[in-house]
Amino acid sequence: MSTTTLPSTYTVYSHLLRADLTTQWRNRRASLLVVLVPTIILLSWKGLVPKFGGAFVLSNCITVGLTAIGLMGYSNTVARDRDKGIFQRLRVAPASNWTIMASRLTVQLLMIVITTLVLFLVGYKFDGITITAGGYVGGLLIAIIGGAVYLSLGQVIVGLIKNPETVNVTTRLVYFAFIMIGMFGELGVLGKEVGEAVKWSPYGTVKHIVSAALTPSTWNEHSWMALLVTLGYTFVFAFLGIKWFRWNTR
Amino acid sequence: MNDPIANSNHTSLVLQVEGLNVYYGAFHAVRGVSFNVRPGEIFGLLGPNGAGKTSTLSAVEGLLKPQSGTIRVAGYSTREQPLYARASMGVQLQATSFQPELTISEIIKLYGGIYGVPLSKEKIDAILSNIKLQDAANKRYGQLSGGQQQRVSLLIATIHEPKLLLMDEPTTGLDPQSRRQLWERIEAMREKGHGILLTTHSMEEAESVCDRIAIIDHGTIIAIDTPQALIDTNRGNPEVIRASRKGKITLEDVFIGLTGTEIRS
Repeated sequence: MSTTTLPSTYTVYSHLLRADLTTQWRNRRASLLVVLVPTIILLSWKGLVPKFGGAFVLSNCITVGLTAIGLMGYSNTVARDRDKGIFQRLRVAPASNWTIMASRLTVQLLMIVITTLVLFLVGYKFDGITITAGGYVGGLLIAIIGGAVYLSLGQVIVGLIKNPETVNVTTRLVYFAFIMIGMFGELGVLGKEVGEAVKWSPYGTVKHIVSAALTPSTWNEHSWMALLVTLGYTFVFAFLGIKWFRWNTR
Repeated sequence: MNDPIANSNHTSLVLQVEGLNVYYGAFHAVRGVSFNVRPGEIFGLLGPNGAGKTSTLSAVEGLLKPQSGTIRVAGYSTREQPLYARASMGVQLQATSFQPELTISEIIKLYGGIYGVPLSKEKIDAILSNIKLQDAANKRYGQLSGGQQQRVSLLIATIHEPKLLLMDEPTTGLDPQSRRQLWERIEAMREKGHGILLTTHSMEEAESVCDRIAIIDHGTIIAIDTPQALIDTNRGNPEVIRASRKGKITLEDVFIGLTGTEIRS
């Protein structure tokens, strides 16, 4: 019997990525909303810039954007495609599971970069937030690391819940809870205990490391600890999310 | 009952399944199933609902891991060389869905890329024209009729000229014209030497197009042979005679005689 030739991993990945990027582009209204919410918060918090500093305001808004990408963008598309059998169709072709997921995550990575850059630009143009070049680069890199927490949290949700409507409702609820408790807790509105809990929550640690990266001179021991906790959250969520994840809903 | 030539060393077989066992928790869904598919053969896997057809097919497709047994597609083990095995087969799933945001030509390009078949725009147009869907290139999958969707699905499954084609109830929900057209395409593939494994609930279709048939029930193959041989062998079976309603024994009578009249959930 004649031998079968396999396409290279790059060929498979590039075709998957092209399809996933097209899908993301055709869903640009949903993507726009992901960017719009933190942008509106950034514009409305212009008055807080002199009091709390540009890095504080910008890092909060970037964290809100990262939460939306991981929880609503990623998990909802994965839940939908799983429910519709799109993954099953891909998995009976010679595309490995990790290639399918790597392509999806690349698109979300791109969304993280776009959202962060838009917020940098809006912060500079409309809120007058100026950051050093090193701060912008560091902020962008840390935003990518912080984004991984929410992508892995989204993975936990699609690992635990099979129904796409329930995933949608749950991610919105978690998103809402994160930004409300996170932002108000950070500001001290919800009391000292909540403020302390928020500080070490996925919201608080990501917000802290993004803020510290935007102003590298403020990066201290607490920032290293927050980075470590952030990586810890990512590892645990990713481990559980992958362990619980099923490729079909049956 | 096992396929008599399943255990012999046939290197030219497009599919070899030996001693397949699939469990769902404590439930033993597939029990030591063995059969094979030769090149240029249409092999039908028939059975009542829940008999183990889809589980067997899913194991061959690599969608579920069997607890024991070996599966070889075109000589490649699905356990040891899963990507090679998958590249050697084309699959038409029972409920196929493609990304709803992509157009038909984008879907074809995507799967062409995954199977390592480079496709230019002209080539895609020619392929679509061949299946009478030249106007569908820029349409979405969801905008097509059931018959058109089935044609696209079959096109994707065969885009890389696989040695083995798996089809899970391919004619379900199709009108007679679409069904006839689909069978013509399947038979044309058989002529070209592709091996085809399909499941169907239509005994008439199975009797007329399948070269060999395996009847599976409660996870076990209870009969395997050509349709005519199955009828001839079971002609005297009292259960089959009882199931016969037209005075002439058909494959459906054999099927009901062997698997019972009880409706399965």
